[in-house]
Amino acid sequence: MERKHFVNSFFWFILGGSTLIVVSFLGIILWDIFSKGFSSLSWAFISSFPRDGMTQGGILPAIIGTVLLTLITTLFSVPFGVACAIYLNEYAKPTLLTNIIRASIRNLAGVPSIIYGLFGLALFVQALDFGTSVLSAGLTLGLLSLPYIITTTEEALKRIPNSLREAALALGVTQFETIKDVVLPKALPGILTGVILTLSRAAGETAPILFTGVAFFINGISASPYQEFMALPYHLYMLSTQHNEIEQVRPLAYGTATVLILVVFSLNSMAFYLRFKNRTQD
Amino acid sequence: MRFIFPLICIFIGSCSVDNETIKIKGSDTEVNLAVLMAEQFHFETPGLLVSVSGGGSGLGIASLLNGNADIANSSRSIKDSELKLFKNKGIEIDSIAFAQDAIAFVVSDDLPFDSVDTETIARILKGEFKNWSSLTSLNLPITIYGRQSNSGTYDYVKSSLKINFSPHAMQMNGNAQIIEALKVDNSGIGYVSAGYVLKGNATGLKTLTVYQGNSKAISPLDENAIASGDYLFQRPLFQYYRKVDYEKIKPFLDFEQSEAGAKIIQQSGYYPIQ
Amino acid sequence: MNSRTREKIDSLLKLIFKGAGFLTITLLAGIFFLLFSNSILFFLDVSPLDFFTGSQWDPDTHFSIIPLLVSTFWVAIGSMLLAVPLGVLTAAYLSEMAPRSLQTVLKPIIEMLAAIPSVAIGFLGIVLVGPGLAQLFGIQNGLNALNGSVLLAVMALPTIVSISEDAINAVPKSHREASFALGANKWETLFKVTIPAAFPGLIAAVMLGLGRALGETMTVLMATGNSAAIPRGFLDSVRTITATIAIEMGEVPYQTTHYFALFAIAGLLFLITMVINLTGEFFANRLRKFDA
Repeated sequence: MERKHFVNSFFWFILGGSTLIVVSFLGIILWDIFSKGFSSLSWAFISSFPRDGMTQGGILPAIIGTVLLTLITTLFSVPFGVACAIYLNEYAKPTLLTNIIRASIRNLAGVPSIIYGLFGLALFVQALDFGTSVLSAGLTLGLLSLPYIITTTEEALKRIPNSLREAALALGVTQFETIKDVVLPKALPGILTGVILTLSRAAGETAPILFTGVAFFINGISASPYQEFMALPYHLYMLSTQHNEIEQVRPLAYGTATVLILVVFSLNSMAFYLRFKNRTQD
Repeated sequence: MRFIFPLICIFIGSCSVDNETIKIKGSDTEVNLAVLMAEQFHFETPGLLVSVSGGGSGLGIASLLNGNADIANSSRSIKDSELKLFKNKGIEIDSIAFAQDAIAFVVSDDLPFDSVDTETIARILKGEFKNWSSLTSLNLPITIYGRQSNSGTYDYVKSSLKINFSPHAMQMNGNAQIIEALKVDNSGIGYVSAGYVLKGNATGLKTLTVYQGNSKAISPLDENAIASGDYLFQRPLFQYYRKVDYEKIKPFLDFEQSEAGAKIIQQSGYYPIQ
Repeated sequence: MNSRTREKIDSLLKLIFKGAGFLTITLLAGIFFLLFSNSILFFLDVSPLDFFTGSQWDPDTHFSIIPLLVSTFWVAIGSMLLAVPLGVLTAAYLSEMAPRSLQTVLKPIIEMLAAIPSVAIGFLGIVLVGPGLAQLFGIQNGLNALNGSVLLAVMALPTIVSISEDAINAVPKSHREASFALGANKWETLFKVTIPAAFPGLIAAVMLGLGRALGETMTVLMATGNSAAIPRGFLDSVRTITATIAIEMGEVPYQTTHYFALFAIAGLLFLITMVINLTGEFFANRLRKFDA
C-alpha cells in the first residue's frame, strides 16, 4: 500500500509538474516583459517619434508601419483566401486537382517564413519592381497568411449545415447567390475569427519583412505604399541587437515588446471571444 | 467583394512613383549618426522623408547596386569587385567622406594587458593565441568578439591586418553587442568604433593602445593623434550614391556638411573632416 | 436581373473562385521554381561535392552547407529533446488526469504561448535565458546552441501538446478498460497501453514540432551567437541556415554566386521541412482515420 501510494504521487508529480512547467513558460515570458515594460509605457511612448538617435522618445512610426503593413496584408490575403476556401468547400469535387490544391495549401503552411521573405524579395522587390517598400512587405506577408486564411475559412464554411444550401438552391437561386446570401453571412463570424488570428500572426512576423522593406528609422509619415516603413517586431529586433547603445535603449525595447505582445494578445482575445460567442449561439 | 475596391485603389496608388523618400542603408558604424542627422534634418526640411537602415557596409553598397538605397553608408572604400558590378550595370557612382572613425581594441579592465602591437593583435584574431597565458600572467581562454562578415569594420580589420579571422570568433550583430559581451566576459577581446568607448558606456572596459614595431603606442581616443592621422586603425566614413540621384539627395548631403551636421558628428564620438 | 445574367454571373464567379484555388498551386510552384532555378545557377559555379562535403561557410571562398546544416539540426534536435517529454507528459496530464474545468483554463493558456511573436521570444533569449545559462554553466556568454534549443522548445510546445493530446484522446476507451480488467493500474495503463497506442500520433506531433523548429528564424538569429563553425557541444555558438539567410541576404548584390548560394541553402531547407512536415501529416492523417 505504501509503495502504491508512492508510485501514485510520483507519477502525478511528473505529469502535473510537466504541465506546470509548460504553463509557467507563458507566465515567465509575460512577467519578465510586462514587469519591465509597463514602466516605459505612456501616451507619449505610443504617440511620438524616436528622438536622440532612437535612445529617447516613442514608437509611433513603428505602430503606424505595422498597421499599414497588416492592412495591405489583409487586402491581399483575405479576398484570395476566402475565394479559395469557397472554391474548395462549395464547388470542388474530390478530384486529383482538388487533392493537389489541398496538398499545396498544407505545404505552404509549413514553408519557413524566411523563405517567403526570399520569394517576396525576388517577386515583389525585384521582378515587379516595387522596391523595398511597405507594399512589397505587405504582399509578402499576404502570401504567408494565405494558407491560414484558407484553412480557417474552410472550417467555418464546413460548419454551415448542407440543408441551408439545399433549401436555397431549391428556391431556384444560383449557387453563387446561395453562397453570397446564405452561406457567407452565416459563416462570417467564423471567417472573421480566422482572419483576426492570421493578422495577429502577420503583425508579429519579422523574417519575411527583413529584405522587403523594413527600415531602422524613418523621420516622417507618408501614405505612399512605395516608402519604407518601421514595424513593431523589427523595431524590437533592432533595439535589442542592432542599435548602437543596447543597454541604454533596453527600457525602450521592453516597452516595444510590451506593446507588441499587447497588440497580439488583444487580437487573439478578440478571436477567442468571437469563437466562443459563435459556438454558444449554435 | 467589398475588398476588391480598396485593393484596386492600392494598386492605382502604387503606380505613382514616389520621389520623396531618401533611402539610406549600410554601415552599422554610421547608422546612429545617420539617424541623428535624419532627425535634425526633418526639422529643417520636413517635406523630404529619410528612412535609415543598418546592416553593414556591404549591405549598403549591395542595396545601392540593387536599387534599394539612394545613399550607401560605408565605413570602408568600395571594393574593386563591387565597382565592377556597378560598371557592368552601367551605374555611375560618386562618394563623399563625411567623418573620421577610429577602431578601438577593447578588453576587460581586469586583464593585465594595456598595449598591443599589430602583429600580436593579428595573431590573436587569427586564433593563434588561444589563451591569455601566452601574453599575460592569467590563464584564461581568449574569446574573440568580432562583427559579421557584412560589416565594414570586419572588412577593415581583416584587410588592414591581412588576416582571416578565427572561425571560432563570435560574430556579433553590432558594436553595442560586442561591448555588452565584453562587459561580462573578462577573457574577451573585441573591436569597436572608438565612438562607443568615448560616449562613456564602456565602464569596466579598457581600450588598448596600439603600436607597430618601435613606434609610440597611441590610443584611438586621442583626438590630436587622429587629426594628424597617426593612429594605425583609423578610416574615413563614406557615403556612396548614384550620380543620377545627386539632385534628389543634395539637401541631405548639404545638411551633413553644415555646421549643425559637424556638431552631430562630434557629439556621436566621431571626428569631422576638416 | 433575368435568370440568364444571373447564370452568367454564377459561372463567372465559379471561374474566379477556381482561379483563387489555382493561385495556391501557382504560389507553391513559384517558390519551388525560384529556389531551384537559383540553386542550379549556384551549382554551375560551385560543385555540389564542395557544397555537401566541405566544412567551411565563408562566402568569399568556401560555400559548404555542412556547418550550417549541423548547426540547424543541432539546435532543432536539442529543442525536441526538451520539448517532446514535456509536451507528451503535459498532453497526458490534460487528457487523462486534469478535471474538465482545469482543461478549459489550461488549453487557451498553451494556445496563447503559440501566439507570442518569435522576435519577443528571441528578445528573452538575449535578456533572460542567455545570462541565466551563462551563470548556470559558468560560461562567459549565453548566446549558444542551448539557448536556441530552450527557446525553440518553448515555441514548439503548443504544437506538440495539442497534437499529442489529440493522439492520446483518439486511443479507444476499450484499450484502457481491457488493461484495467487485466489488473494494470492507472500508470501502467498510461505508459504501457495508451501512450504506445498513440505512438503514430505522437510521431506526428514531434515531426510538426521539428518542422517548426527547423524553419524558425528570428529566435535563433538573436539567441545563438551566429558563429559559422561546426559546433562541438551545446554550449557552442551556432549559425543555422535560416539565420545565415537573414544575415547575408541583405548584403549580397543580386545575381552573384553568393546570392545564388543563399537560395541553394534555402532550397535545401525547403526540402527538409517539406519532408518532415509530410511525414508529420502522414501520421496525423492516420490519427484522423483512427478517430473516425
